[in-house]
Amino acid sequence: MGFLDVTKSLSEGFVYTLIIFGVTLVASLPLGLVITFGSMSKILPIRWLTKVFVWIIRGTPLMLQVIIIFYGPGLLNLSFKFDRLPAVLIAFIINYSCYFSEIYRGGIESIPKGQYEAGQVLGMTKAQIFFRVVLFQVIKRVVPPMGNEIITLVKDTSLARVIAVTELVKSAENIIAVKGIIWPLFYIGAFYLLFTALVTWLLHLAEKKMSYYSV
Amino acid sequence: MKKRILAILAGAALALGLCGCSNSKDSDWNYIKNKGTLVVGITYNMPMNYKDDSGELTGFETDFTTEVCKRLGVEPKFQLIEWSKKEMELKSKTIDLVWNGLTVTEDRKKEFLFSTSYLRNKQVTIVKAENADKYPDTAAMANIKIAFEGGSAGEDIVKEDANLTGCTPINCEAQVNALMEVKAGTADACIVDYTLGQALTREGSDYSDLVVLENIPNTDEEYAIGARMEDVETIKKINETIAEMAKDGTLKAIAEKYDLSDALLV
Amino acid sequence: MAFLQVNNICKSFGKTEVLKGVDFSMEKGEVLVIIGSSGSGKTTLLRCLNFLETPDRGSITVNGQVLFDSEDNRDHSDREKREKRLHFGLVFQQFNLFPQYTVLKNITLAPELRAFGGKGSSRADKKAEQERINAYSTELLKKVGLEEKADSYPCELSGGQQQRVAIARALAMSPDILCFDEPTSALDPELTGEVLKVIRGLKDSDRTMIVVTHEMSFARGVADKVIYMADGVIEEYGTPDEVFGAPKSDKTKAFLENANQKDS
Repeated sequence: MGFLDVTKSLSEGFVYTLIIFGVTLVASLPLGLVITFGSMSKILPIRWLTKVFVWIIRGTPLMLQVIIIFYGPGLLNLSFKFDRLPAVLIAFIINYSCYFSEIYRGGIESIPKGQYEAGQVLGMTKAQIFFRVVLFQVIKRVVPPMGNEIITLVKDTSLARVIAVTELVKSAENIIAVKGIIWPLFYIGAFYLLFTALVTWLLHLAEKKMSYYSV
Repeated sequence: MKKRILAILAGAALALGLCGCSNSKDSDWNYIKNKGTLVVGITYNMPMNYKDDSGELTGFETDFTTEVCKRLGVEPKFQLIEWSKKEMELKSKTIDLVWNGLTVTEDRKKEFLFSTSYLRNKQVTIVKAENADKYPDTAAMANIKIAFEGGSAGEDIVKEDANLTGCTPINCEAQVNALMEVKAGTADACIVDYTLGQALTREGSDYSDLVVLENIPNTDEEYAIGARMEDVETIKKINETIAEMAKDGTLKAIAEKYDLSDALLV
Repeated sequence: MAFLQVNNICKSFGKTEVLKGVDFSMEKGEVLVIIGSSGSGKTTLLRCLNFLETPDRGSITVNGQVLFDSEDNRDHSDREKREKRLHFGLVFQQFNLFPQYTVLKNITLAPELRAFGGKGSSRADKKAEQERINAYSTELLKKVGLEEKADSYPCELSGGQQQRVAIARALAMSPDILCFDEPTSALDPELTGEVLKVIRGLKDSDRTMIVVTHEMSFARGVADKVIYMADGVIEEYGTPDEVFGAPKSDKTKAFLENANQKDS
């Protein structure tokens, strides 16, 4: 099996890696904010429930969550079941939303009280203060820690193979299993490196774009 | 291990407040028949199920499954699974059968309802060529590092052979990873299926510097199809079809295509 | 009735009584300066006037309209509260400018949100309104002497300049009474002058202002009335000449002596 054939075969797996990465990121960024509101809610039961939920999700391995979401419904004889890719996406979105929510929370709590008060005395509503004054400052503060999580997400996509979703690593393993060649395993490293380089560059652009002011 | 995962699953589900609503009492074969597809859990391994150079799924089991399904009037669907999770895949009904060179063992008889055994198999030891003479039998393999695929028949041998109790077991995700352990020198030997071992150490493979010790361990095994314990009717239908195919020579023809006719049991 | 009437304001944080019944009044166009040592309750009083704290007891009336009355148990809508607090403006010790916006946008943001928030209006109306807000805000910038900084960001300005922008921002909402909470305390000494000059300028245009400050000579120069606060009550009230020149209370005397020593 030649270099081109292997590249083609790995590219098919890489598509799944990209789907898992893209869908997780796009869904988790806003969902994380919703969870943040929950964990900062003034209503005690909501705050408590959210914190327990975040604790469970952050306190257990993502791999276990993927397994539970995929096999759980069938093992418990529930009337619904998820396909492999949706199960991976659900687990990833829930997991990353929780991580993002904690980063957001840190960001929101680091905004000085004076910013809220300045908005208040100028007659702004709570929503206006959050979306027009605070949010952008939060985003600027959370970009570096979010960058770390996003780079981790690139590599976490390989966990999808525990339920036999043929992402990049699994597609390399499949080639190795059948063709008796080993080098594709190292070759996929290049895929990840190129991808993380692209993501790093985009994150750098985002940081640069927001560096027009400092606090 | 499996029990523990089940316990965690159940616990997690309870914690999340899920309710178990049991499925209808429809017969197992009707369940598959109504779906119209028979989902077969496989892994890629030569010569059972693998992709040929044009990317098409092919192999002894592929042809075998396709023919059985044709005669039963259902569509085969080949679902790639992780071998170590085959029991979970079956029980959660994400697949209907494990049909991928599944070795019949006493332990597995508690987990699977097996079909007629159709192919002879053995587990073989694979070592680096220069070490071939060091291991005349399992007694000579005491205290070495030995790799196998988690949940495979090879794992059972490492656990059950009295000569191997002193070995350091290396539990791998796939048989091919066990071979890689040997090639990389991180394991001294590995125990895998004969058919796969032969296919992967052929000339031109990255593993051609490894050799198959055909007589270690000296075990006779059989391949059969594994189903859920309660799927009695499904297995009955499949057994009838296998008998039919043995009689009219179709099965022999398929085995010959993959050079396995000597191993055929029916 | 006086323009601003404040009656019996009490406020506790936990077990600490910060305000123990504060009464005062002031007329339109007056400048009231509040002095006192830290912890005397002056900042809390300002925050009560601006609805950043809710008094436990008392009432606040501006121009005959009751803005707050602890006897009144009706639930007020957020909207009502927002409208009421706009009678007051507040300039903070720490400026609290919005760092991500330009100087001009800092000033126009709140008027824009007030004008365009919620109800839809025609595009032409919006454009005219936006132009009005921009023109007015630029005028305010000119008034604090920073029109050339309209497109700068707060981080590019000195502390004194930032505070002048904050004053323009507060003026943009046209409050009846503009409050200053120690406006020069966070500034280097050489930068306080420019801010005090702006406040003096506002006095000349007859702004009604309440200024909490530690700058005694400025206080004496700019104030129409002076309040000296100690331990959560008004210890002394009068014209600058009365309070600074002939204090009646011993506490006031001690405080002023102490302050003079620091100044010299």
